[in-house]
This record gives sequence, C-alpha cells and structure tokens, in this order.
Amino acid sequence: MNTLTIAKRVMKQLQGDRRFLVLSIIAPLIIIYFLKLLFDAFPSPFPITDFTIPISAFILHFLCFILCAILLVQERTRGTLERMLISGYRQSSIIGGYTIGYLGLATIQAAAVLFESLWLFNLDYSKETVFILFIVIWLLAIVSVMLGIFISTFARHEGHVFPFIPLIILPSVFLTGLFIDVNALPGWAAFIGKCLPLHYAVNIIHEIIKPEYSLSNTYLDFIILTGYIFFLWIMASVTLRETA
Amino acid sequence: MENAVEIDNLCKDYGKLHALRNILLNVPEGTIYGLIGPNGAGKTTLIKSLVGALKSTSGNVKVLGMDPLRDKWKLRRQIGYMPQSPSLYDDLSAKRNILFFGSAQHIPELEKKTSDMIAFAELTDRADDFVRNFSGGMKKRVSLCCALIHEPKIVFLDEPTAAIDPHLKLQLWKLFRQLANSGITLFISTHLMEEALLCDKVAILRNGEILVVDTPQNILKRGRTTLKITENGETRESIIDSNPDSLAIELQRFGLNQNITSITLHPDNMEDIVLSMIDEKEKQEKK
Repeated sequence: MNTLTIAKRVMKQLQGDRRFLVLSIIAPLIIIYFLKLLFDAFPSPFPITDFTIPISAFILHFLCFILCAILLVQERTRGTLERMLISGYRQSSIIGGYTIGYLGLATIQAAAVLFESLWLFNLDYSKETVFILFIVIWLLAIVSVMLGIFISTFARHEGHVFPFIPLIILPSVFLTGLFIDVNALPGWAAFIGKCLPLHYAVNIIHEIIKPEYSLSNTYLDFIILTGYIFFLWIMASVTLRETA
Repeated sequence: MENAVEIDNLCKDYGKLHALRNILLNVPEGTIYGLIGPNGAGKTTLIKSLVGALKSTSGNVKVLGMDPLRDKWKLRRQIGYMPQSPSLYDDLSAKRNILFFGSAQHIPELEKKTSDMIAFAELTDRADDFVRNFSGGMKKRVSLCCALIHEPKIVFLDEPTAAIDPHLKLQLWKLFRQLANSGITLFISTHLMEEALLCDKVAILRNGEILVVDTPQNILKRGRTTLKITENGETRESIIDSNPDSLAIELQRFGLNQNITSITLHPDNMEDIVLSMIDEKEKQEKK
C-alpha cells in the first residue's frame, strides 16, 4: 500500500518535471544517432549487428542509473527522504515505490531505444526476438534504477554520484563482453566483468540476435539479471540511511 | 504529570567532535519544552536522536516510554516531526503533501483530517496550490500540518520559526499553545532567546552540554538590571536583580511610596512595535 503511494508520488514528480522527462527520453535517442554516424564512418564490412543492441542497452543502463541516483539524492538533500522515514514509510517501501514509479519511464526509454536502434540500423529481427530484446533491456533498466538507488546511499549531494560512473558504469564498457568475449580478458578482469549486471544482459542479447538462437541458453543469464533486482533491492533497503 | 521524554546521560560523538555530552532531561507531558541554544549547539542532533534518526554514542532515551531506535516504527505512529527545512514536495499541492505524509500511517478519514488540518493552519484558500508558489512562512505551516496529521502525542519541532517574519512567528506560537492546551507535548528548538519566554520550561544548550533547565520566569530572575538615577545633575548607578520587588525597593530609597511594593516595566521591543503597526494597519483596512 505504502509502496504504491510512493510510486504514485514519484510518477507525479516525473510528470511535473517536463524538462527532465523529455531529456531522459530524447537524450538516449540522440546518443544512438551519434552511434549510427560513428558506425557509418567505420570501414566496411563492419559487424554492426554484434554491437548495436548491446551498446544501446549500455546507454540506457548508464542513463537510468544516473537519473535515478540523482532523483534519490535530491530526496535526501531536500530532507523529504528523512521526513518520509520519520513519518513511517519503510526503506523497502521507498525503494519499491521508486522502482515502480520509475518503471513507466524506464519502459518508454527501453522501447524508444530499441525501436530507434532497429529502425536506424535496419536490423531485421523476428517479432519474438524483438520482444525478448525488449524484455532484456527493460530488465536492465530496472537493475539500473536499483543500482542508482543503492549508490545514492553513498552520496550526500548530486555531485557525489559522479565518481561512481568511472567506478561502476565505465568498467561495464570494457569488461562485460560489449566489445570482446570476457573470457579473453585476464582472469581478474573477467571476474569483475562477471560481477557487473550488463554482462548478463549482453550475453542474452548476443544469443538472441543469432539467426538460430536457443532460448534455453539464456535462462541462467535471465535468472542472474532478475536476481540482481532482488539483490540490489535488499542491499538498498539495508543501507538506505535516514540522515545525510 | 508523567514524562513524555526521558533522557539519561545521552552522548553523541562524530569522531573527535562531542556533539552531545551527558544530556539529562525530562519533558513533562502536555508542555511546551524549549531547547534553546546558538547555532551548532547540538539542538538538531538531540532532536534527531529523539526521533530515532540518529544512533547515540551512549546513554538512554525514552520517548513515550519507548526506545526511539528499538521501537522505531511503533513510536513513529505517535510522534510528529517538523524538520528545520520545510522538506516538502514543491511539485505537489499543500493538500497533496499533507495527504502523502499522512498516508504512511494509514489514518482513518485522512481526507477529512487533512481538510481540518488545513483549516487549522489557515491555509484553506491555498490548499490546492503548488507548494513551490508558497512563501517560506506558508511552507512552514504546511510542514507543521504534515507533522500533526496523524494526531501525534508529542511533536518535535526543529527551529520552526527560523527565517520567518514576526507576524507569522506570532501566529505559529499561537498554534503551538493551542496544541499544548489540547494535551500534545511540544519539544521546540530555537536559537531565538525571546522565544524561550513562550515555553513552559526550557533547557539551554551550548556546545552539546545543558547549561540550565528551568522555567523561563526563573531564568529571567537570574538577570540583572542597571538602574541609573540622576538627581540634581548627579547620576547614581545601581545594579538590581530582575525581581519586580527589587525595583520598588530601590526606588523607595528615592522617596517612592512605601505601599508600592512591586514595579514591572514592559517596554516594547522592535518586534512588538512592528507587529502593532501591522495590526493597526489591518484594522484600518477592515474598516
């Protein structure tokens, strides 16, 4: 009940901040267009299909993480987070409410990013593949929201969120299999890569975009990716502090 | 009268900084208890320890007979908290803010109680306006409503009158007195010494330590007044205490009727003068 009350409030807040709303949808679309310009400039033949959807997923992962972390840090700096807790809202309700509240935006972002990538890069996938790709990107967006909430605990103001970008988000670019198979990396680097949620989303995408894919090959990755949601929910609930 | 708050040897350290040292306080039920002290004295730290938002380093605290940390969620149904900053959602109306914070406790007839609370805070005309369009004083009133919506037995108010105009300050103190008269305990922190007079009892806090706990009247008696009397061009100066009898006794030496045993002076300060000017203008406008 309290979770839904908070979710309603977050949705209302997002609706009220039109500039934030528009930017959070438009920004990934512009970045994907830049990606198209970059790929077009590469000498052909270039295996566009191997990189387009994984990179699009990363862009969304990055944006959802940062936007959600900043929103929650704002709650802390404005004192509304402390007030919510002292009024009787529990940590788990706040995190659940935030995730549900952000889910609508994350769904729009995931759909927009996926369909722009398919259209811009002329990717011809079956309906089933597109649906599974959407689910993966959507799940990754939820994980990113959770990660943002969890990281916000360690930030006293918005500026504190930025050091976490090179610590958590940027290693995902190099270590999760976005450009090269993680097993080709040194053992310790592969281990770090396998700890990052993007690795599992990338694994599923790589499997699904094969002409002859097997869904059963993705089950474990799906379970781990979904597990991240619950793991980060618990971690964020435990660490969410009342005062700065 | 039972104690709403009992604090026994409370200490709070931030590393080497001793924010609170051996705090010993009892707050009787149904009183306005003032926590007076300059900025940085430890007022907010003490209030946050009482509402269970901060873990103390040592000592015992009981609020309504409960431990603020161990019985956190049970206690929070019975306490109200008004933080120093308004801590409201600017993109929600006054009414929506009160409903949102009230929803945490699943209060029956929340809508009706919210309307009553808005009327109590004289905000009925602006109830549906966004808080972002409110003045600082109006935000304080909305914030107070959020702290009171679940009908708490005790309310902790952290500098509720900071940065608001004298007229509104007076209105807020009238509201506080109404609440205390209805049996609610109010624990109010302030750095404004003149507000101490409006409390039933005060504790003066400095550098994390309690200097004195007493009624404001008793504290005033500790004050001294310099009396200068010029007679035939000769000025004589004497120091008297703030007891009303002392001035009469001193003036009897200059021929004051022996039957006059007490003299009290109530000179207006700047705030009183400004408020009376506002009142006068408002009366004129009503005519």
